[in-house]
Formats: sequence, structure tokens, C-alpha cells
Amino acid sequence: MTSSSSSKKQAQDPPETSEPTLKSLRTKMTKSDEKKKLKDIEISVPLVYGNIAFWLGKKASEYQSHKWTVYVRGATNEDISVVIKKVVFQLHSSFNNPTRVIEEPPFEVSESGWGEFEIAITLHFHSDVCDKPLSLYHHLKLYPEDESGPLTMKKPVVVEHYDEIVFPDPSESFLARVQNHPALTFPRLPSGYNLPAPMQVDDNGKKKRGDTKDHSMGQWFTSFSEADELLQLAAARQQVQAHIAKLRRQISLLEGQNQTVKTGSDP
Amino acid sequence: MGGTDAKDILGLPKTPLSLTQEKKSRPQKESHRKPDGISREVYALTGGVAPLMPSIDVTHLKRPPPPDEKVAWQWLPVKSSARKDDLQLYHWVRVVNDVPPTGDYSFAKYNKSVDVLKYTDDEYENHLTDPVWTKEETDQLFELCERFDLRFTVIADRFPLSRTLEELKDRYYSVTRALLRARAQSPAELANHPLIKEPYDMTRDRERKRALSMVLSQSRHQEKKDAEILAEAKRITEMRLAARRAAEPDVPANENIGSVSPSSNSQLPATAVAPSTLTMADYASTLASLRMLHVYLRTYGLEQMVQAASSAVGLRTIKRVEQTLQDLGVNLKPKVPTKTVCDEHLELRKEILTLLNLQKQLQYKESEGSSHREGTYGAMPDTPKDRVFASEPFGFGAERPIKKEPKRKGPGRQSDTPSPAHKRPRKLKASDL
Repeated sequence: MTSSSSSKKQAQDPPETSEPTLKSLRTKMTKSDEKKKLKDIEISVPLVYGNIAFWLGKKASEYQSHKWTVYVRGATNEDISVVIKKVVFQLHSSFNNPTRVIEEPPFEVSESGWGEFEIAITLHFHSDVCDKPLSLYHHLKLYPEDESGPLTMKKPVVVEHYDEIVFPDPSESFLARVQNHPALTFPRLPSGYNLPAPMQVDDNGKKKRGDTKDHSMGQWFTSFSEADELLQLAAARQQVQAHIAKLRRQISLLEGQNQTVKTGSDP
Repeated sequence: MGGTDAKDILGLPKTPLSLTQEKKSRPQKESHRKPDGISREVYALTGGVAPLMPSIDVTHLKRPPPPDEKVAWQWLPVKSSARKDDLQLYHWVRVVNDVPPTGDYSFAKYNKSVDVLKYTDDEYENHLTDPVWTKEETDQLFELCERFDLRFTVIADRFPLSRTLEELKDRYYSVTRALLRARAQSPAELANHPLIKEPYDMTRDRERKRALSMVLSQSRHQEKKDAEILAEAKRITEMRLAARRAAEPDVPANENIGSVSPSSNSQLPATAVAPSTLTMADYASTLASLRMLHVYLRTYGLEQMVQAASSAVGLRTIKRVEQTLQDLGVNLKPKVPTKTVCDEHLELRKEILTLLNLQKQLQYKESEGSSHREGTYGAMPDTPKDRVFASEPFGFGAERPIKKEPKRKGPGRQSDTPSPAHKRPRKLKASDL
């Protein structure tokens, strides 16, 4: 196709004039960057955040009808405190001390109340990970979707969202510290690249477990799997690609026709 | 003037902004008046505008010479501190009241020279030896440097052995640096010396010169292409901004992609390139801006990339993409946004965009084809509401009734179709796939 070939040409042309300056810039850059960061390597931490809300039933009062917990956890219930230093939950201003700072896993806040509102969840990372905090927003859900059904004390309302924190250019010290940790997906390093061995942290029983595998409400946690979505996407792509091929055939046919018609109609 | 009469009638002030107007007009007027002291014609030579810095104090020009001063010009011998020899020179000197002017020759202060360091043999032995350079060469180099005030082009020309200018520079600067370091009492006082702070880099200099010569030797054609590319880039960024701010009809953008038919105007070949380069540039810049964040949520990243993909197209196309996704049974926002899922999702969106473009292309081709045949009639293109995968039983075995689309006849189209493979345009259905 003309567009692709000419775009290739264009991609080649500018570097001819700017290449020398780019190269010299690059050599300058890599010298200083070599030590600190690698390119095209990202670390991602799969998270699940959301809330679980129990109706208090008989014990419910007008202002305390539900007992809820809003939390952030690792998607596979691993300990995310390896990356996260603290989590700040900003609750509705009607709560006492609406800014709740949780500095240890499990990163969650449990409260009782009656209203649904948006909670700002700010993740603060360790200093070698990232200086900037990252914010998530979660709408607290207390009442079930199906409004007609009776409220039950036994089954809570659970709303969870899956997302991943992406660190597009992790520092070497970060990489070294977290290699082999189950809470995150570690990238494949370029061949020959060796990380220093992580410092052995002696935590036999000294540190509390940070994972949520045995969480008291673990039975309500959703298990997120990418398999279904991938399947869906693959099927969709296949269909679209088949359709594209068909259209291309039709277009080339038409092009051929138009040419013959045109030459035929020339006086 | 009629204007003032009308204002009188209405009772408005004649010059509503009288104060500010006056102030405004005054500085303007001043620039139009020629300054006194020089004639009008001479003033016009300067372009009718006063020089930025008054070179001559105007009041000096028409002043008669003060009566008590007696000015004579004499041919006198002159001494200049700039000359080191004893050569006696003479020139005309303005003598006032028989007193010749005092002080040094007024131009002597411009006799600057470069401070080229001189090294002793010991210093050479200790610090300055180099595998490539002999002492004689270095001595010669330094002598030339002093003689020609570090004008390296001249030095390079005169240097007896064949060395490139960059090599000479490199040698001179590294020797001087080494000397400075060796002679300095403490490293601190050197820290601000320009030669230490920014050392000469021979390779960088070469590259810079090569780049310059390439730019200089660019052919006219190359220059035109570069200008075109820059204009494209500018247009693209503007398009992106505009598309983000308001809904645009997607017809112009999609038109550009396909049609290379003979009837297209000359503009198209250039703009046909635009969408592909546009999206690549968009993705690259989005990725770069994501990197700058140092941390972001994958859903946010996907959103940005989707926006980049849709930046070149109008709102209508975006809606169509979303409709297609829904028809295919794909979540508009992935429920489990892992890296793979997000990448696949983005690719799917891109493919749908390509699909929609091809559809448009097909429509235009068909309308062109029929217009060639008929001359006066044009075929009616499909209504914009055609849905590619409309109510199709896609997904995982969901059973849904297939809607039968009514077959439409364009005016007088089908009768003389030579090729049986060319079906009439109708809404594409699942059965076609």
C-alpha cells in the first residue's frame, strides 16, 4: 500500500540529518543512564481494590446500617507491602478522622455507616520504587444491584476492581530488591544482565505476614483471570481480520474494474 | 465630519477615550517627526525611523564650535602601547589650543591576545607526553597557536605535518588542561575554568561539523521534503488537539487513507501518509508521556493509548468502534486489564479502525465506479448506520436471530456489471465471513 511505503520512507529521511546529533545525545545519555535505569523494562503489580459490605440486620440503626471494609490487596493475595509503603484512604468528611493512613498490610479500613460515597485511595511507594503517589478511586457500594431483593446479613455486597500498577522505568535497586517476589510480575531482563542479589531480610516470625491469603473475608474475594478476556479478544480479532481481508479483496477487484471502465470510456 | 455630528446628536463625547487616545497618539506622532539636527533626506536614509541607540547626540550637530577653543590638525608622531617595536608612526591629530591629546592611542585597547600557556621541558616530560604526538610537533603547534591567536583554521593550514583541525584542537586543549591541572595549587580553583568545566571533545566536534555540512549540502528537494514533514507534524498535532476538543466529521480523515484512484486530486498522496505517521507519532508520544509519570495504572495507560488511536478520527468513528466492540462481545474496558489483555484490546481497536476505513474506501470506490459508468448518476452510498457485525451470533454460542437486510438497488447499476464476483453493495453479514 502506498501509505505504508511512503511512511517507511519518511521514517528514514529525518534521521539522516538529525542522526549525528541524536547519536551524540544518545551516547551522552546512556553513559549517565546506564547505572540507573534500563529501557523498555516494566514492573507491574496486579492489584484488586474494592469493598465488602455487610448489612447489620437487626443491629442496624439509622446511621449505622452497614459494616463495610474498603481495601487494596494483591490480585493473587500476595504481600504488596514490598512495593507499597502506605495507603491513605480518604473517607467522606462526615467520618471521624476521614483521612485514614494505613502503614502496614492488610491495607484496609473498616467502618460502619449508611451512605455510599467515593473513596480516594492513594498509594504511597517506598523511596526506591517511586516518589510520586498514585491515586485510585472507588465508589463504596453497600446496597445490592438488585434493589427488590431483601437485604441479608449473610451475604455481603462485594465490589472489586482489578488493575495493575505499572512502573515503566524501574531503578536497578528496585529491581534487585523485588526480584522473585510473588506479588509482582517481574520483567524478563536482557540477556547477560545481572542484578545484584537481593539483601536477605531475616523475617522469620519477626515481621507480620503481609499477604491476604488467610484474610478473614477471603471467601468473598473474587478471583480474576485474564483467560476469558483473552479468549474473547482473540476471537474478536480473528473475525475482524477475516473481514478486513474480505474487504481488501473487494476493493482491489473494484479498482481493477474502475481502471478498465475508465479506459473503455475514454474517447 | 459626519461622525462628530452624529455624536453630537446622540450626546456622546466626541472622543470617548480621549485620554488614552491622546497618550497613544503622542508616542506615535513622535516617531513620525524627524529629529532636528539632520536633514529630512538624511533621516529618510535610515528608513525614517530613529536608530535604536542614538549614535549622535542631536544637540551636538548644529552647535557652533565653542568660541574659546582653537582647533587645529597637526601631523604628529604617535605612540601606541600596542606596538612592541620602535617603529615611529605619524598621523593627523586634532590639537586643541596647542595642546596635543594625551593618553594612549585610542585603539590600543583593542589589541587583545590569547593567553597561550608555555611549558618547560620538564613539564612536558612529566605530564604532556602522548603516543601520537612528538615534542617537536607539540612545540610547533604551540608556536603557531600563539602566533595566530588560536585561529585553528589558519594553524591547520600552516601546520607542517598533515593533521586535521580537530586533532590539533584536541592536542592543544588536552595539553593546556593537563598543564593547568599540574600547575594548580588546588583543584578547587580550577573547577570554574572553562577548559576544565567543558573539555573539548574531538568526536563530538567532528559529528557537529558533519551534521552542519549535511544540512548545508541538502539539496533543494531534501529541503522541501523536510519542510513538508515539519508542516505535516504541525498539522498532525493541531489535528489531535482539535479532535480532542470537538467532534469532527470523520469523512475527511478517512477519505485520505484509501483512495489512490486516478480521480483523486494531487493533495491526496501527501495526506495519504498522514494517518499512519500520525498514529505512530501519537503512540510514541503517549508512551513517552506515560514513562514520564514513573508510575501509572494500567487502565489509565490503556485509556491514553486508546485516545491516541482515536485522536485522528471523529466522534462518529469512535462511536462506531465502540459499537463494533459491543457487537463482538468485548468489554469496552477490560475487566481484567493485564498487560496482554490491554495489548490485545488495543490491537483489536486498531484493527476495527482499519476495518471501518476499508469500508469507507469500498463505498467510495463503488460510488466512483458507478459514476464512471453512468456519468450523471452516482450510486447512493450505504447509510452511515451500517453495522458490520449487527446482531450477529458471535461470542460463545449465543443464539440470536439474524436480521435480514433489505437488498437495495442503486439506480441502474447492476445491469452492465461485467464481473460476477462483484456483488452489489449490501450490508455485510455474518454469512459473508
